[in-house]
Amino acid sequence: MSTRTTWAVQRVPEVSGGVRLLATALSAILALIVAGIVLRLCGLPPLALGARVLHASFGTRFGIEDLLLLASPLAACGLSVAVMLRVGLWNIGAEGQFFVGATGAAAVGLFLPVGGTGTTLALMALAAAAGGALWIALPAAARLVLGTSEIITTLLLNFVARLLVDFLATGSWRDARSSVTAQTPRIHAAFAKLPRDWHLGGLHWGIALVIALAAVVALLFRYTSWGFELRVCGANREAARYAGMPVGRRLAEAMLLGGALAGLGGMIELAGTVHRLQGGLSNSYGYVGIIVAVLAAAAPVGVLFSALLMAVVLNAGTVLQTQGLPASAAVALVGLILLFVAMGERLSHYRIAVIRPRATPAGTGSAAAASGAAE
Amino acid sequence: MPILRRRSLLAAAAALSAMPRAVRAATPLAAVAEKDAVVAFGHIGPVSDGGWTFTHHQALLAAKKAFPAAKFLEVESIPVSADATRTFRQFVENGANIVFVTSEYGDLLSSVADDATDTAFLECNGHRQSDNESSYYIQHWMVSYVLGVAAGRMSKTGRLGFVGSFPVAAVYGCANAFLLGARSVAPHATMQVILINSWFDPQASSQAASALIQNGVDLLYTHLDDASCLQVAEKNNVKCATWNTDERRLGPNAYVSSLLLDWNGFCVDQIGRRLKGQWTGGPITLLPMGHGTDRDAWGATVPPEVGREADAVRARIMGGWNPFAGEIRDAAGTVRVTRGQSMTPMALYEWNWPVEGVSGLRG
Repeated sequence: MSTRTTWAVQRVPEVSGGVRLLATALSAILALIVAGIVLRLCGLPPLALGARVLHASFGTRFGIEDLLLLASPLAACGLSVAVMLRVGLWNIGAEGQFFVGATGAAAVGLFLPVGGTGTTLALMALAAAAGGALWIALPAAARLVLGTSEIITTLLLNFVARLLVDFLATGSWRDARSSVTAQTPRIHAAFAKLPRDWHLGGLHWGIALVIALAAVVALLFRYTSWGFELRVCGANREAARYAGMPVGRRLAEAMLLGGALAGLGGMIELAGTVHRLQGGLSNSYGYVGIIVAVLAAAAPVGVLFSALLMAVVLNAGTVLQTQGLPASAAVALVGLILLFVAMGERLSHYRIAVIRPRATPAGTGSAAAASGAAE
Repeated sequence: MPILRRRSLLAAAAALSAMPRAVRAATPLAAVAEKDAVVAFGHIGPVSDGGWTFTHHQALLAAKKAFPAAKFLEVESIPVSADATRTFRQFVENGANIVFVTSEYGDLLSSVADDATDTAFLECNGHRQSDNESSYYIQHWMVSYVLGVAAGRMSKTGRLGFVGSFPVAAVYGCANAFLLGARSVAPHATMQVILINSWFDPQASSQAASALIQNGVDLLYTHLDDASCLQVAEKNNVKCATWNTDERRLGPNAYVSSLLLDWNGFCVDQIGRRLKGQWTGGPITLLPMGHGTDRDAWGATVPPEVGREADAVRARIMGGWNPFAGEIRDAAGTVRVTRGQSMTPMALYEWNWPVEGVSGLRG
C-alpha cells in the first residue's frame, strides 16, 4: 500500500491566528468571486455593485455609522455565545434572551418612570440582564441536573420568547395608534447620541457599552482565576473536577452570564435604535451571534471584529437591494459568503500531507507512513 | 383600466386634506429636473405576492412610464426593524428626491426623514406629518361595507369570518365595516376574527381560514397580502372576499369579490408635483372609493340580484352617503356613535374598537 506517494488530510493541533485570518480572508475573496460570477450571469455589473457596496459601507460617515449600529446587537449576541463556548456549551438561545431582555427593559421604560434618564436606563439594563439570565436559567438547570442538551432547550425557548413579545405587543402593552405592526408605545428613556454634527441619524452611547462589555469579559477571561477555570471546564470537565474546580457552578455562571449579555443586547437595541418593543426588534441577531462567536473563536475582543464583518456582509445585502437585486438573491449572496468564510475557517485547521513511500519493507502499516508525512 | 382619474383624485384629496389637524403654511420642496430625479419605493412584502406589494409595484411601473428619464430604486420585503432605517438611509444616500414607503414604519422612517429635509417621504397608512413627510391610504371601509352587503345576502349561517394581520386600525375598520354592511341586510350576522401576526404568511392564514370554517363560518373576508384564504375557501366549499387584486382564478366558485387597489394615479401625481416644485408635506390623503380602491367585478357564484343590491349601496356611498352613522354599538354593547352622528374619515381611519357582533378583537 505504502509503496506509492499518497495524500492525506490531517488535522493540525494548533493553528495560529494569522493562518486563520488568512484563511478567512482568502475564502471571503473566493466567495466574492463566485458571487460576482453569479451577478454577471444575472446581467448585473459585479464590479460596479462591489464599488457601490464599499462606498455605501465605508465611503460615507453614515455608512460607517450604520455598520456600527448593526454590529452592536450582533456583538452582544456574539459575546453571549462566546462566553458559553468558553465552557464548551452552545447557546442557540441568544435570540430569545435578547427578546426577553428587551421585554424587561421595556417594562421598566414603560411603567417605571422614575425621573432621570440615567436612572431609568440603569434600571432598564438591570432588568434586561435579569431577563436574559432568567431565560437561560431553565436550560441551565436542565443541563446541570438532568443533563439535557442546552442546544435544544435554548433553541426552543427562542420561539416562546418571540411569542411572549407578540403577546405583550398585541395585547396589554399595545400602542393603539400603530397601523401596521403590533408594538408598544415609544419608550422615552434612550441612549444619548454621540456628540457630532452629521447629517443623518447618529450613533448612541449603547455602542460604547457593548465595547465595554467585550473588554470586561476579555479581562475576566485573561486575568482572573475564574476565567481560567471556565476555560479548563470547557476543555476537559473531568480534569477540572479532578483539580477541585466547582465545575457545575462554573457552567451555571457562564450560562447565566451568557443570558445576561444577550439580554443587555436587547436593551441596547431597544434604548438605542428601535425604542419600541416589537417582534422586529431582532432580525435574527441571536442566530447571527452564533456565527459571530464561531468566527471569533470565542475570543471576546475578536467578537467585536467578527460582528463588524457580519455587519458589512448583511449591510451589503441591503445596499444590493437598492441596486435592483431581489431580496431573496441578496439573502442567497450573504449566505454564500458566510458559507465560504465558515468553511475556510474550519479548513484552516487541516493540512494536506503528502505521504511518500519509505524504503522499509511493505507491511509496516500506515503508522509508519504517517510518521513520514511532510507538508 | 386605472380606477383613479387624476382630476377627481385631486379634488377628493383636497377635500380630505382640509379636514384634519392644524393648517400650516408649508413651503414646497424645490423642483427637480426629470433626468436628475431619483424615485424610491420601499415595500413591506415581496413584489411577487400577487397582492398589496404587487399593486405598489404596478404604481412604480406606471411612474416609470410617466417619467422615463427618472431613476427608480425599489427594495422589497423590508422588515419592520432597524433594517428598515438602514434601507431608507440608502435611498437618501442614492439621492432619492421622493420616497414611497408602502407600509407604516413610523419612527423607523421619520428618524431618516427628519434628517433628509430635501427628500419627500410618503408613508402608506402612516400618521406622521412634517415639512417633508406625508402619508396616504385608502378608504377601505367603504368598499368593505359594500362587500359586506353582498356577504350578508350570501351567507346561509350568518356567521362571517375575518383573517387579519395585527390588532391595528385597518383590521378593526375592515372587520367592522364588513359586518355593518352585512347587518344592513342580515341583522343577526356575526363576525369571528383571527389575527395571524403577519401580513404575509400563507401557511398561517390557511390555518386560520380552516379554523374559522370549522367553527361554522361560511363566508370569509381577508385583507392579507396573499390569496391563500381564497384557496382554503374553495376547497371547503365556502365563499371568500379578498383584498388587493382579482384572484378569482385561484377559487372561481368561492370568489365573491375583492377590494381592488390602484396607486398608479396617486403616485404619478405626487412624483409630478415633486419634480415641478409643488410638493409639500402635511396631512394624510385618504383615497376614496372609485379613486384608488373599489370592488372587483362580482364573482361567478354571486347571484345577480345580490350584486345589484350591493352596487346600489356603492352608488349611494359614491354619491356622498356615509353608512357609518349612529347608532353604532361596540362589542360590549356600549353606544359609541349616537343616533344622528356620523363617523369622520379620521375616526374610521383610526378605528380601534370592534362593533357589536365582532368577536376576536379587543375593545
